[in-house]
Amino acid sequence: MSTLKKIFLILISSLIFNNIFYAQSATQLEGDFKVGPAIILILMLLLFIIVGIFNRAKDTSTYWAAGRKISPVGAGMAIASNWMSAASFLGMAAIMYTTGYHGLSYVVGWTGGYVLLLILMAGQIRRYGKYTAADFIGDRYYSQGLRGFGAGVAIFISFSYCVGQFAGIGLMFKWILGIDYVTAVIIGASVVLAYTLISGMLGVTKNMQIQYVIIIVSFLIPLFILAYKFGYFFWLPQVGYGELVSDIVNGLAPGKGITALGHDLSILPSPEFAMPWDPATGQTAFQWIAICFSLMIGTAGLPHVIQRFYVVPRARDARWSVVWGLFFICLLYWSAPVYSAFGKVLSSNPEVGTLASDAIVVYTAQLGDVFPLIVGLLAAGAISAAFSTVSGLLVAGASAFSHDIYYRVINPQATEKKQMLMARVGTILMAAAVAIVALLNLGLIAQLVAVAFSLAGCTIFPLFLLGIWWSGSNRSGAWAGLIAGSTVSVIALVYFIVGKFGGSLPAQEFFNYYLNAWYFAIFGAPIAIITNIVVSKMSKNKTPVEIQKFLAEKVHNYKSK
Amino acid sequence: MTQNNEQLEVNFFKSVDKHFKANRKLILTLAIIWAVAVFGFQFLLMALEEPTPEKSYSVFQSVWEDMQNENATFESKKDFAITTLLVLGKNVVLNPEHKPILKESFSWAIYSMQPDSIKYLFNSEPSVESINQTISSLELDEDGLDKILRDLIPSSLIAVNSENLSDNCKEQIPSIMSLYLIHNQSELTNFTFLGFPFHYWYTAQFLLIMFVILCLIYAVLIEKINKKHDFVEET
Repeated sequence: MSTLKKIFLILISSLIFNNIFYAQSATQLEGDFKVGPAIILILMLLLFIIVGIFNRAKDTSTYWAAGRKISPVGAGMAIASNWMSAASFLGMAAIMYTTGYHGLSYVVGWTGGYVLLLILMAGQIRRYGKYTAADFIGDRYYSQGLRGFGAGVAIFISFSYCVGQFAGIGLMFKWILGIDYVTAVIIGASVVLAYTLISGMLGVTKNMQIQYVIIIVSFLIPLFILAYKFGYFFWLPQVGYGELVSDIVNGLAPGKGITALGHDLSILPSPEFAMPWDPATGQTAFQWIAICFSLMIGTAGLPHVIQRFYVVPRARDARWSVVWGLFFICLLYWSAPVYSAFGKVLSSNPEVGTLASDAIVVYTAQLGDVFPLIVGLLAAGAISAAFSTVSGLLVAGASAFSHDIYYRVINPQATEKKQMLMARVGTILMAAAVAIVALLNLGLIAQLVAVAFSLAGCTIFPLFLLGIWWSGSNRSGAWAGLIAGSTVSVIALVYFIVGKFGGSLPAQEFFNYYLNAWYFAIFGAPIAIITNIVVSKMSKNKTPVEIQKFLAEKVHNYKSK
Repeated sequence: MTQNNEQLEVNFFKSVDKHFKANRKLILTLAIIWAVAVFGFQFLLMALEEPTPEKSYSVFQSVWEDMQNENATFESKKDFAITTLLVLGKNVVLNPEHKPILKESFSWAIYSMQPDSIKYLFNSEPSVESINQTISSLELDEDGLDKILRDLIPSSLIAVNSENLSDNCKEQIPSIMSLYLIHNQSELTNFTFLGFPFHYWYTAQFLLIMFVILCLIYAVLIEKINKKHDFVEET
């Protein structure tokens, strides 16, 4: 006990001591190694691991039993922490900072999808009672081939979801450690991998609720401070920043306060920040609608989101956990635009130079002269948001690889031990590959993550939507729809990558605009759904009676009169 | 199809099961509210929007012809310089290709406003003298928005080595000005609510509140429907 006390005292004193020095260099946005934030980060990761050890699930049955005890409010927090990643924490403010109203399509898209998920799927998925998205697809469409393909698609979705997260982790490690981006991504990837391998053995349990609290608290505190400092309604900065948005539109003369770099809080009239699809941002109304739509249906098709409903013990709890989950998510989504608005004004002086927009949340707090340790907590919160999502995705991706592909398709004789080994190897390979792609700097975090949503919207969403609500959709239709959706995805991604590396394919501009990598589900999903319906109708191979019966009686609970 | 098969068929639009129908009605109602509130509003914005220029755009338009023909007065050149500076102040959204053109036009306008005796100040990179001279030519105050314009000058001035505005600038400036100074506005964007431009508040806050409420309504009503139809959820 006394040693623990000693360690605690040392940590506290180093925090205070360090702060004296750190405060002096607060005006430097990047700077050197930041001891305070680094300690906060290490403490936070240790906390997650320790809580994991104390709440360890001994086997699968206690794991589910632990879930049974959880209240819908607690489950809602778990949904929210699972959901909120670097894209929510850093990416949304970044995209609004650069493109204004256009960025709100991400805010709306990433929340509105939950309505679809709840009313169209949550209860039915729960009653269907499978464990993974691939399990559902394989069972509902009675095909091992589809199951394997579905698992492959799910892995690819997890993969692209992770790329944006690694970019966010890299940026925050770069900020905390004061090193270059490439080294930061490599270090960040190694830490997240180690964390995943350690916490993967411990189970999740209480961690997700603690993570939610840390994420939301670290995100909100700086906003109250900023609003207070600059004379906006600070009791509820989410409402108080309304005046700030109008100030940005009409111009704000100096006099409201001084930034950490000694500039006035002031801005010339900039209606492009708030006006819809402003030409100056280079974004159109079509793109707003396309992104919003793609993100919404992607939400209802993301394997790691859908999967949460399989494990909820009761359908009623599944519904209420979505209601609470969405509320908790919205707390952050109501607040993210506040960072973009303050960031826009605080960084408007030309002397600030060009900032990496994906780190604008942290820079905003720094420029607003928020107490440095609170900025450190903010950066650690961003890492926590990315970690909670990445470790879940890496585990899900690796288990899909070892269970759905290796065990079910490649080597059915594999022992449990061999499967575990394959899962570990899968995790490491996936993390390494994600880190390499993250280094290519293909887009902003929010955009990179949006790719995963469009992929899910084109492939998994149609299979679930039709699989649940129309027993006429059969194996042939499912194959055709999945192939159509995947083809659209491949075309969109190939055009994107070729364009990114300076090449040009036939009709490059056309595809770049209408099948853009950030929102190709706007066309891909309807194409996949229509193909599925048409081929199902044409095919002679009908859905087997047992499955029709299961769907009618078990999932939709028809009365057999 | 036999009677038995019809009973087993699950089809969102055709089912005969009473609970299913009640559930469908609820789903459709909520989905329609959801779609109209999200996408309907954006379409409404599109329908009502008018390209609305900022004040500085009309100032620019009134002086541009004279600037092009190189017969602008001192006052016109001053107005022109200020409008280019206002666009340069848009910082984050500026396309990097547009910056040099705006800087060149701004610097040239300032240069051409000067008496011959001090023009040399502007032939090289900005200095304290050239910056101060610019401020006094533009008659910028020390406070208000003028102060922001003053701060922009050091990063906006470049060396001028031509008596005429380049053809490249003449060609590109009108489209650059209209790109940055004309916005899609309407009644919905001009009217403020809780301090926000209304449309911004609606999208950034109201829609999210509505999503939570829709989920809440569904969770409450589906329980009532389940009860009414003796729908057993757990087996």
